[in-house]
Amino acid sequence: MAIKVNRRMMSAIFLVGISCGLIVTAQASAVQELLAEYGKEGAGKYNAVNGENLWKRVQVDAKTGQKRSCVTCHTNDLRKPGKHARTGKLIKPMAPSVNADRLTDKKKIEKWFHRNCKWTLGRICTPQEKADILAYLANQ
Amino acid sequence: MVSSKLRVWDLPTRVFHWGLVSSYVAAWLLRGDQYLHLHVLAGYLFFFLLLFRLYWGLAGSFHARFSSFIRPMPEAWEYLKKAAGGKAPRHLGHNPAGGWAVLLLVSLGLMISITGLLTLGVEEGHGPLAGILEREWAALFHASHQALAWAMLSMVGLHLVAVFRESMLHRESLPLAMLTGYKRTDTRARTENVQPHAAVALALLGVMLGFSLWWGRGYLLHSGNEPYLPFSGPMLSRNALWEEECGACHLAYHPSLLPRRSWNRLLTQQENHFSEDLYLDAGTISRLRAYAVTGEAGNTVTEASWKIHNSIPAAKTPVRITETSYWKNKHKDIPEKLWTRSNIGGRHNCTACHLDARQGWFEDGAMRIPFNGKNMTRIM
Repeated sequence: MAIKVNRRMMSAIFLVGISCGLIVTAQASAVQELLAEYGKEGAGKYNAVNGENLWKRVQVDAKTGQKRSCVTCHTNDLRKPGKHARTGKLIKPMAPSVNADRLTDKKKIEKWFHRNCKWTLGRICTPQEKADILAYLANQ
Repeated sequence: MVSSKLRVWDLPTRVFHWGLVSSYVAAWLLRGDQYLHLHVLAGYLFFFLLLFRLYWGLAGSFHARFSSFIRPMPEAWEYLKKAAGGKAPRHLGHNPAGGWAVLLLVSLGLMISITGLLTLGVEEGHGPLAGILEREWAALFHASHQALAWAMLSMVGLHLVAVFRESMLHRESLPLAMLTGYKRTDTRARTENVQPHAAVALALLGVMLGFSLWWGRGYLLHSGNEPYLPFSGPMLSRNALWEEECGACHLAYHPSLLPRRSWNRLLTQQENHFSEDLYLDAGTISRLRAYAVTGEAGNTVTEASWKIHNSIPAAKTPVRITETSYWKNKHKDIPEKLWTRSNIGGRHNCTACHLDARQGWFEDGAMRIPFNGKNMTRIM
């Protein structure tokens, strides 16, 4: 049986396609723009492998003596939900491949970099570190 | 002497008696905050039965009518004196002292019902008397409700002693008579059976059953992932930015739970928000502040917010809800091992036990300690 593609279906498919495209574009543009900005701030060529290493690097918190890393909350699998280390609140998956909202808003990315670098590393991240992590996350 | 039985108590009187016993016991056992919805159901049935008893005291069969058993006070006193000496004459219906006990019990019951409705209305903001008076009155109504319940319990104690004594004295089981309706014939008194009035009793039971089903309909009809909330709190302000920013890391605690000065301090100290740097821009901070302040303005809309606010001294600016003395006092019986359980996680996690924490209501009836995932036993 042949599937008849009528005009309404065509436009629906078209709209879905457009929306997917827009999300991908939003993500790509936010990431691209930020990478460019980090470059202007002094970052060299970004490196996803360095980003992954930093993401998984365990740091001992000076005040509490706790071992901390990005994985503490986001877990080892970026496509799975994470859990806030202190409150237990559910964190949506970080990987853009399963959570299209991720890496689409520059301001949000910057906010979380600032907040979470400080908690995890005890300092803000350098433009190079942010560029590497962004490159790593964008491919997940 | 004809040794035969006589129907003394009609069916509605018996349904009333045991229904009142059951609803009183149920309400007593379900007095804990978390059972409020069922406590109130028991209370409505109790109240309804008492109102029915007033009607039946005028329209019921002979021994159910007030006119048949309300005797002058001195007569009741005389009876008590004789009873103390073990020489009280037998009465087919209520004896003269018992008649007054019925009146006293019914009056106490009605007062319990009314103070209960007042407590429900003024403290909780529910029921037909919701919000008729300021919350300041709630403590008085609540205390009276409890004191009257104790008074009725002691009257019930006296009633049981009297029933036991009289049963022994006349060698007949009065409790059994209240079940079957029959007593031994007494030649000196009326000798006709009273009407059974089965239809009235059936209607009485039907109304109570119907009301109970209607009251509990939510438990039966509710579907979906969200838990059923028997009580809905007042309309509280909501704000998408608040939910998003605060809710990203923890429950977006409703602003009504802390005073304005606390929110101001929290938002001013965003670089050290419980040792995290929030890094929110000035625009976001001021929008959050504006919402917190308006949300706070309605701080007495829920029982929880009213009580939290009243427990904070004017000179104090708590940054945690759990610092306030109302919160501490309300949670003082919770053992430490419960707080650290994996499905609770800590004092910050209101949602673990308060099904309506997200809405900001904290209704008594929406509180329950979750089962322990492992062995399904309750710690408390």
